[in-house]
Amino acid sequence: MLNSIAETLHAQQGAIIKATEQHISISLLSLLIAMVIAIPLAILLKDHRRIAEACLQVAGIIQTIPSLAILGLLIPLVGIGTVPAIIALVLYAIMPIFQNTYAGLTEIAPNLEEAATAFGLTKWKKLQRLELPLAMPMILSGIRISLVMIIGTATLAALIGGGGLGTFILTGIQSNNNTYVIIGAVLSAILAFFFSWLLKFVGSNPKRLRIGMVAIVILLVGFGGYKGFQALRPAPTKIVIAGKMGSEPDILIHMYKDLIQQEDPQAEVTLKPNFGGTTFLFKALQSNQIDVYPEFTGTVNQQIIKLKQKTGANPQKTYQLAKRELARRYQMRYLKPMQYQNGYALVVSPQFAKTHQLTKMSQLANYNNEITAGFDPDFYQLHDGYQGLKQPYGYHFKNVKTMEPAIRYQAIANGRVNVVDGYTTDPQITQYHLKMLQDDRHFFPPYQGAPLMKESFAKRNPRVVAALNKLAGKITTKEMQHMNYEVTVKKKSAATVARQYLVKHHLLDN
Amino acid sequence: MIKYDHVAKTYSSVPVIRDVSFEINEGDLFVLVGPSGSGKTTLLKMFNRLTVPTEGNVYYQGKKIKDYDLQQLRLQTGYVLQDSSLFPNLNLQDNIAIQLEQQGVAKAKRHQRACELLRAVDMDPEKYAKRMPNELSGGEQQRVGIIRALAAKPTVILMDEPFSALDPVVRRQLQDLVLKLQKQTKTTIIFVTHDMHEALRIGTKIAVLKDGVLQQVGTPQEIINQPATAFVKEFFHGHGFHFSLNAVLNDGLGKKTSTASDDLPVVTAKKLEELFVFCRDHQAQQFVVQADDGQYIVKRQDVWDYLIRREENRA
Repeated sequence: MLNSIAETLHAQQGAIIKATEQHISISLLSLLIAMVIAIPLAILLKDHRRIAEACLQVAGIIQTIPSLAILGLLIPLVGIGTVPAIIALVLYAIMPIFQNTYAGLTEIAPNLEEAATAFGLTKWKKLQRLELPLAMPMILSGIRISLVMIIGTATLAALIGGGGLGTFILTGIQSNNNTYVIIGAVLSAILAFFFSWLLKFVGSNPKRLRIGMVAIVILLVGFGGYKGFQALRPAPTKIVIAGKMGSEPDILIHMYKDLIQQEDPQAEVTLKPNFGGTTFLFKALQSNQIDVYPEFTGTVNQQIIKLKQKTGANPQKTYQLAKRELARRYQMRYLKPMQYQNGYALVVSPQFAKTHQLTKMSQLANYNNEITAGFDPDFYQLHDGYQGLKQPYGYHFKNVKTMEPAIRYQAIANGRVNVVDGYTTDPQITQYHLKMLQDDRHFFPPYQGAPLMKESFAKRNPRVVAALNKLAGKITTKEMQHMNYEVTVKKKSAATVARQYLVKHHLLDN
Repeated sequence: MIKYDHVAKTYSSVPVIRDVSFEINEGDLFVLVGPSGSGKTTLLKMFNRLTVPTEGNVYYQGKKIKDYDLQQLRLQTGYVLQDSSLFPNLNLQDNIAIQLEQQGVAKAKRHQRACELLRAVDMDPEKYAKRMPNELSGGEQQRVGIIRALAAKPTVILMDEPFSALDPVVRRQLQDLVLKLQKQTKTTIIFVTHDMHEALRIGTKIAVLKDGVLQQVGTPQEIINQPATAFVKEFFHGHGFHFSLNAVLNDGLGKKTSTASDDLPVVTAKKLEELFVFCRDHQAQQFVVQADDGQYIVKRQDVWDYLIRREENRA
């Protein structure tokens, strides 16, 4: 375990640093916005008890809404990415800051307030010389509570493409890679501890507090200036490429990037790996938040076009159908697919395969009573999945459990189940020495991956289309499985694995 | 100079001040005295409009208080509260000069004024100016509370039971301080207390209140010699010019001691007069008084000071 953490830390150094930076900037920006809202609000309402209590109630209710729900509700309003993540975090952070500031301001001894009033101090003077200094410890502790909460909750930003350390946690869960989960979780915990300590240190005496405030102002001005400078520079062609969760899309988008930059060295390509699920990515593409992402033909037919029947067995026809419908309904261009077929497969444990000499899916029907299957809930329900399989293969397994895709392989490796569904390119098949059964009745539709983009984008960027088309018909199932293995199990970075493949197959110079 | 004209105040239809009228002359140390709940603090706070009368008016230099600009009025009025109420986050010089700060006086001048005032009350500015309030004793804090009220050179200072939380010795020192400062600055002071001793000791004029009704206004002598009501008579009974030995000793003339000191002469006394006689007949600068409730160390000088002050009050 420790070894694999060390390896991952080394191989993914760049990505980890970037995610940490993102995490910090999302958290601090949210905190700052929350402070700017909550503190003046508390000052404004300190003499209006009823309104303040009402505000506390509302803030309290917001806090009870699960953060996932808030993120979901925000997507149709503000789209995906960093903005909704920051909005959600701000909503959470307001409450503790407001509550503490309000309490700090209203709990000042009445004789001090009376003295200040009797001396003829203006409201502003009172605030500056008496109320804020006395409430400061409370305000700071409110800020600290919010900060710790924000840093923890910010891991959810990854769900909607906001980036940050949550990306590692999510990838880890999706690809059943505990190392990633641990790295993401531990780093975010360390961040929370560190910033909490920093705030405590800075707030522990007035001099440090003053220095801290000056530092924040300088940072803000610098950051604003930098952003402004960036906005003023003429922008080169910017292309945003996103990928779904997991190693395979990650490898693919790195190949896309290398190929595009070879074709057009001026192009500025931004990658957003582990960006989200099918629906989410497709919406992002529609709303121009991303320009390209790799998608599977079968997925297009089942989940985007939503065909009512099982996908056909002919890969060519499947692709043509997907391409035609995407162009007709969504004005999208679906480039030519790669060679490998990443379809569903049934996978059995090595012992089970050995006992019954299993190689083909049709053989399984003989052992219906001995089978405990663990299926992804989608697979269990889809026409392309178990429901469709029953009839042609004559399956009625004794026991079928649905479980998260991430833990299926754990379940079969630990002997809890003896049959699971999988993808033909899953590296875990090699890792756990599992046996993939041959689809001898050609039930599973072939899923082929190909770049998907808007028609308008394709027209504007012919060089991108040319670059991506170089992958058409390339990469076999074996090769893809191997590359997945390299990334997931051997902890090599997706960028390295992608580049090695391209160079080896003369798709990339150098 | 200050005139309360048929002033009344009710809190949710409960009257706390009923038709009170009196006048305060410039340079008066005017004491409002009465048992707790008699409405003396309410009357005091009408001057700087911390409370507003339901009926009647308060006049200052012929103009209604309510017609003054509130901030200007308050900036030019000193205020001393029961506990010093120093701002705990500010050092002494910033505390003292807070009204000057609001007036926009430059920092150097503010600190200069603060040091001047600290020196006036025997607190070395070198040592004290940058201290925080919580580093001081209660007596020192209240001393700073008093000079804070003087900082803006106000024409009127309001004092709301400023010494009630202090022990007798410190209380007496601060009473002397207020008398001294008032003599120097000729500031008009309105002073609230529930302690008739204090009232008689420092007041040039005393107003006695009970249940929001003014009982009598007069000099200490008038209050003692011609009490206007039975309440006034009862309230000051056995005090003023008929102080008991124990009361005077406890009020700060003597210092209670438990150990007998061999070096000092001892006098056993039951009445004040016996003490005076002893002082007349002996030359010792310090001696021990054996009174009913214990032993006190008394300085000869303090006894004479006490007699002189008593004569001044009578005059």
